[in-house]
Order: sequence, then structure tokens, then C-alpha cells
Amino acid sequence: MGKILTRAVLAVMWVLWLIPVYLLIVNSVRSANDYATQSTWAIPHHFALWSNFMAAYHTAGLGQSLVSTFLYAVVSPAVAVVIGALAGFSIIALRLKHGFAWFMLIFGGSIFPIQMLIIPLFVGYADANLYDHRLGLILVYTAVSVPLAAFIMRNFFTGISYSIYEAAVVDGASAWRIFSRIYLPLATTALAAIFILEFTFIWNDLLFGLTLTQTETVRPVMTALSSLLSAYAGTTYNVVLAAMLFVSLPTMLVFLCAQRLFTRGLALGQTG
Amino acid sequence: MTQLADAGPTLRTAPAKPTHPGRRLLDGVQAWLYISPAVLLVAALLYAPFVWTVYLSFTRYDGLGNPSWIGLKNYTTFFHDDVLWVTVSNTLMWVGGTIVLPVGLGLFVATVTYRSKRGSLLRLPFLIPYAISGAGVAVVWGFILQPHGALNDILSFLHLPGGHTSLLLYRPVNTIVMIVAATWQGVGVNALLFLVGLQSMPEAPLEAAKLDGASGWSMFRHIIWPLLRPLTAVVVGLSIVASLKTFDVVWVLTQGGPGRSSETLAVTMYRDTFVANEYGYGSAVAVLLTLIAAVASVTYLRTQLSSKRNVSW
Repeated sequence: MGKILTRAVLAVMWVLWLIPVYLLIVNSVRSANDYATQSTWAIPHHFALWSNFMAAYHTAGLGQSLVSTFLYAVVSPAVAVVIGALAGFSIIALRLKHGFAWFMLIFGGSIFPIQMLIIPLFVGYADANLYDHRLGLILVYTAVSVPLAAFIMRNFFTGISYSIYEAAVVDGASAWRIFSRIYLPLATTALAAIFILEFTFIWNDLLFGLTLTQTETVRPVMTALSSLLSAYAGTTYNVVLAAMLFVSLPTMLVFLCAQRLFTRGLALGQTG
Repeated sequence: MTQLADAGPTLRTAPAKPTHPGRRLLDGVQAWLYISPAVLLVAALLYAPFVWTVYLSFTRYDGLGNPSWIGLKNYTTFFHDDVLWVTVSNTLMWVGGTIVLPVGLGLFVATVTYRSKRGSLLRLPFLIPYAISGAGVAVVWGFILQPHGALNDILSFLHLPGGHTSLLLYRPVNTIVMIVAATWQGVGVNALLFLVGLQSMPEAPLEAAKLDGASGWSMFRHIIWPLLRPLTAVVVGLSIVASLKTFDVVWVLTQGGPGRSSETLAVTMYRDTFVANEYGYGSAVAVLLTLIAAVASVTYLRTQLSSKRNVSW
């Protein structure tokens, strides 16, 4: 009895969750003609996904946004995991004095809401000539990614026996060599998990893009996508939906290909 | 491995190289060098802006010229602002709504599917929206909820009420349907988090309960739920903090409108700052948002930690 009920609820949820997916797919492939004449629920007569996307591409300059966003979402997490790993290595292996206090300082950076950062960043970036520059976004995305990276890497390095470090020192290895040849390779999975989490976060970011960028070349994709919706963009929903599908592909792919890693990252990051 | 582990004590009892004061100093400098990039980045781009925002919240500032100190005036103005009640109650709806819907349904999906062989297939519909961004979710639901959109179409087709009006136009319905949109996206990640907990649950109590004839609801109520409580505490805590900062979906779908009827605190902050150019006032809203988030999470953590029913494993 209970089992039937839970199965029924799950089935209803299945349908409810797949309806928006269905609507997203049929309407993003619908041609402008069909969109004007057909019901939103009908199967389209023509498959126009590509031309819809090209329309969005030209209206919102999505192409350049995509390139820039790739740059942000790859470079910032890559730099952040290394910086986080260096910090963890300093605290755990090099036994930095007051290491835990420094660690708390770095990790504490993750509790500030983005709302507490954007006004000074906007004003300060304008002064420093970083406003509407790719470097400015890379810097801020790296900074917000560092606390989690340091947190996970410190925890991970705690699990590596200190005697490995000591043995390497006795063998005459420099700290950098121990870091890059022993500690980093051991941490590949953790590094990848953090990278994927941060990649997704940056790819999906809207707020920094809204406040720190202006031109189509610098603007991240989600900000570009949201601008397609504004009244004066003059685009119909079939075009916006196609654009949305395209800009969501990278995160969907990452998610499908690395779901286990992703879940691991979530577990590492959120439950410690 | 054992050889490496054995090397430790010998090294410590026979200090061949270290204790040279110069070398120790060098070690300290090196440790500093390794942590400094993280410290510098976090200090310059997270801590400094944070402090600056607190300062700006006591000033009048339009982004040009210099901020002028006005004490608590931004805060008193906000407490007399008509929008305060709207934005705070909307934000609270978001907090309550996201605990009940995405977290609750995520727990449901995880517990119903975690023992099934086709579990990952059963969870797939909930994971698809999770791979979509907040802005993307807003686009999909904007399409569904717009006037003459997909929802209106199906309601008219079925001769149900509501077919001729957009649900985004009226308070509090607009906030509620946006919470539904966020639920569509959020169930997947919560299910994943609970799944991690369920899969790492000790087998013994589950087996014992099964032998005692427990199943279905009683199994969940008396065995799984208590075992999951620490994780539930974390998931709910995260959800509270995240929902207090709700911005993306609301901004893309309604920009807080019509009027200011669907604003959340984060949207109010953005609008006052970057649309109205009241940087000091916007800073004050940001500070209040942070204070509310801090108080909420500390209070929440304390009730969780003091709870006697908290089972740890």
C-alpha cells in the first residue's frame, strides 16, 4: 500500500518534471513561422534549432560571450585549485605557524554574500580599469573559488602521511618538488572535483556578469542570455529557448560525464 | 609505505640537518610564500570589499565623487520604506518554500530511489533541470508563465480558471510560482546530497530493523530519518542561507516587479544600487541581508547542536 503510494507520487513528479523539459525541447526547435501559428504544446512541423540559435547568436553576440565564459570557467578554477592546494600544502606539510588561523581566514571568505562584494568591486574596478575587462572577471572568479579549494585541499592533505613528506626531505627534495611531484598527483580526484564544481558555478553566474561587465565580448553567457529576454531585444521565445539550450550544454555535459565526481565534490565541499 | 612511515621517528631522533636557525627561518618564509597567493586574493577581493560595503552603508554615495557620512540614516530610511515589508516577506516565503519543496522532495526522491537497481534512471528527470543555471530556469519558466504562454494554453484548453492571466502579475502568486520554478531546478541536487548520506549509512541498523519487520514508512520514520538527521541539518542550513540570497530567477523573470511586488532582499539591494544609483542605501540593504543570514544560520546551528535527538555516526 505504502509502496504503491510512493511509486504513484514519484510517477506524478516524473511527469511534472518532464513537462518543462518537453516544452523546452519542442519550442526551441520550432521555427518562427510555426511559433506564430502553432500551440506551444504541439509537435513542430519543422526542425529549426540551428537557425534559432544563429538568430540568438547574432542578436546577443552569444559567440563572443561563449568564448569569454569558457576562458573564465576554465582559467579561474584551474588557478584557484592550485592556489588552494598551495595553501593546504603550506598549512599541512610545511607546518605554517598559526596555520589553522590562516586557514580559517581563507575559508571565512566564503561566507560573505556576493551582495556584500559587488558595490566596492564595481567602483574599485572602474578606478583600476578592470571594469568590463576579462582580467577583472578572472580575478574575482578566482578569488571566490579559492576558499572552497583551500578547504577541500587542506582536508585532503591531512590524510597524507606526514612521514612521506619527511622521507622526501631526507632524500633532498625541495618543497616545490614535493608539492608538484607527490602531493598534487595524489590529489587528482579532489582537484578535479573542485574544478568541476567551480566550473559550473562560474558558467552559471549571473550577478558578477551583470555588475562588472558591459560589452558583448566580455559579458558572460548567462548575463547575455538574460538580456535576450528584455523587451527591446525583440527576440521571440523559440529563439531564447534555443539559446538557453546551447549555453546550458557545457554544464549538462560536465554533469552527465562526471556525475560521480560531481557528487563527490558536493560531499567533500558541503558535508566536510 | 611502511618503510616510509618508519623513516619518521629516526629522522626526529637524529637531527642531522635541521635546527640551523637560518634554515628554520627559510622554512618559515617558504611556508609563507605558499599560502600568500590565497591570503592576498581573499583579502583583496573578498575581505576588503566586505569592509568597504559596511562603511558605505553609513554614507550617501552615488558612485561618483566621495561618499558622505550620514550615520544610520540609510538604515532608518529602509525601516520606514514601504518596500521593506514586501521584500522581507517575499524573502521569508523563499526560505520557507525552499525548505519544504526542493529539500523535502529531494529527500523523498532520494529515499524512494536509493535502493532501486534503476535508481539513477529514476532520478534522471530531476537531474536534468539541475544542470541548468538559475538564469536558464528563469527562461524556461518565463516561457511557461508568460501571458498566452504554455500554462495559459493548457489551462484554457482544459477549461480551467487562470487561462487568461499571467501568474507573474500578482503578489503573492508571483513569488509562489517562482518558488515552484526553483523547485523544478533544486530537487535534483538535494536528492544527490541525501543520496550520499543514504549510501554511506551503516547497514547494521537497517538489517536489524528489517528483521524486526520494519518497512516503508516506519522504516523511514524510525531508522532512516534519525540516521539522516545530521545530514538533513546541513542540507536545510545550506538551503536557508542560499534562499535568503535568491536573485537570479527573480531578476530574470520579473526584475522584482510588477512594481516591486516580487522583490527579494537581494533584488532590492541590486535595484537600489545599480538602477537607482543609491550605493550607500544599497550597501545598507546588503549589510542587513548579511546580518539576517548570519543570525539565521547561527540560530539554526545552535538549535541543531543542542537537539538531543541528534544522532551522530
